[in-house]
Amino acid sequence: MIKSDLDLKLLEKCAGCGACFSICPSCITIPGYDPREVIKDILAGEFEKWLESKHIWQCLECHYCLEMCYQHYGFENAMTALRTIATKRGKFPPQVKRGWDMFAKSSRLGDPAMPARKKLGLPEPKKSGKDEFLKLHELVLKAREAENEKKTGTDDE
Amino acid sequence: MKDFAVFWGCTIQARFPFLEKSSRIVFDDFSLPYKEIDGFTCCPEKSLIDNVDHEMFVVTAARNVALADENKVDIVSPCTGCVSNLATVKGELESNPKEKDTVNSLLGEVGREFEGSAKLSHLVPFFHDSVGSHKIKQTIKKNFNGMKISAHYGCHMIRPSHALRNDDPIDPVKYDNLIRTLGAESVETDTKLMCCGQGLDRVDQHDNALHMARMKLKELIKAGADALTVCCPSCFLQFDNNQFLMMREGEKLGLPVIYFTELLGLALGHTPEELGLDLHRVSAEPFLKKWASLTADNQEEINSGLNATGTL
Repeated sequence: MIKSDLDLKLLEKCAGCGACFSICPSCITIPGYDPREVIKDILAGEFEKWLESKHIWQCLECHYCLEMCYQHYGFENAMTALRTIATKRGKFPPQVKRGWDMFAKSSRLGDPAMPARKKLGLPEPKKSGKDEFLKLHELVLKAREAENEKKTGTDDE
Repeated sequence: MKDFAVFWGCTIQARFPFLEKSSRIVFDDFSLPYKEIDGFTCCPEKSLIDNVDHEMFVVTAARNVALADENKVDIVSPCTGCVSNLATVKGELESNPKEKDTVNSLLGEVGREFEGSAKLSHLVPFFHDSVGSHKIKQTIKKNFNGMKISAHYGCHMIRPSHALRNDDPIDPVKYDNLIRTLGAESVETDTKLMCCGQGLDRVDQHDNALHMARMKLKELIKAGADALTVCCPSCFLQFDNNQFLMMREGEKLGLPVIYFTELLGLALGHTPEELGLDLHRVSAEPFLKKWASLTADNQEEINSGLNATGTL
């Protein structure tokens, strides 16, 4: 699963570089957070042990590593891949789950604060695109289901 | 200047509506052609949505850009995250025609089409590039001469640079230039480019989030800054709300955090209350008091100059 998301050839270079380590805000401030360890394990095929780790959620997606990376690849790609696998298996921090659920239900991460808007004299917020969003979400899920069925069908043959 | 839609995003409208107020005030004062359009949703936020479902991340952002395309407007946002997420997806679709086709066949089902013709700007580079320092200097009523202000760009105002292309991603200058345009000294810090750390709160790691906020605040207080200026609701939450939480636990901090639109609004002559500065959790009073005293000093100097013997 991880191979389809990551360019392992590029990651091999990452393993021997580590430039991101010196500028990554989480590396500087959070003890035990080290991209080089994670990359080593991914290359050795042992990424599974990171899926339960709180470390994979400490990448702030600030894209600083991406900008400093001479391959313009960045450690964040490795972390995003691990987080995606973790969430597919239902392993996410409670707040991420809450955020996703609210988004899927309402198309937003919070509704406009109406009493405060009134007090400030702000106009009515414009209409949200919730209905279209919900329809698109349904279509994406349906297409995915159909694809999965097709795949299972081929596997059976 | 092409008309633009303001992309307010979820956080400003849900948690900090006063930031919408100050943004509208500065847009109006510069007579900028902004339009309100129906139908925007969450941009969506990368760390919460992209990690769970990349396809929904792409489709949702593409639909938001499609709305601007359709209305023939650009997008300007006072939220760094919104611009960065929309631009990331726009860049991804522009460099991947196959993905663009797939997304457009989906959007077609709800009568939309992503073209990518809308230009996406964050409010700070927009003021720098499209309004310009000359016009700002001409329009403001009071400047910040004698004040020391430090800019926190916020990661997503300038990164990822391949998608945003609006400033140098590791040596940005535009926010600093705007502070100088307003007459203040722009305080340089070692933590200038460091992420605010608010993302750690979103993954239930509050202590780590506080630690990162503390690093920057302490450095700025030591450097004698009168205020920290940000233009991202997430950075604002981190430095205002989390600073307040640390102060409540007895930490000696107390650095005012002023949104760019509030700073500009003050310079345009609006009162702190009009701009919603009284709604911050960390009081902006020390900043406002010092500024008021400097303005009084300046006025005295001018008066004494005018009344001195030997003047015409």
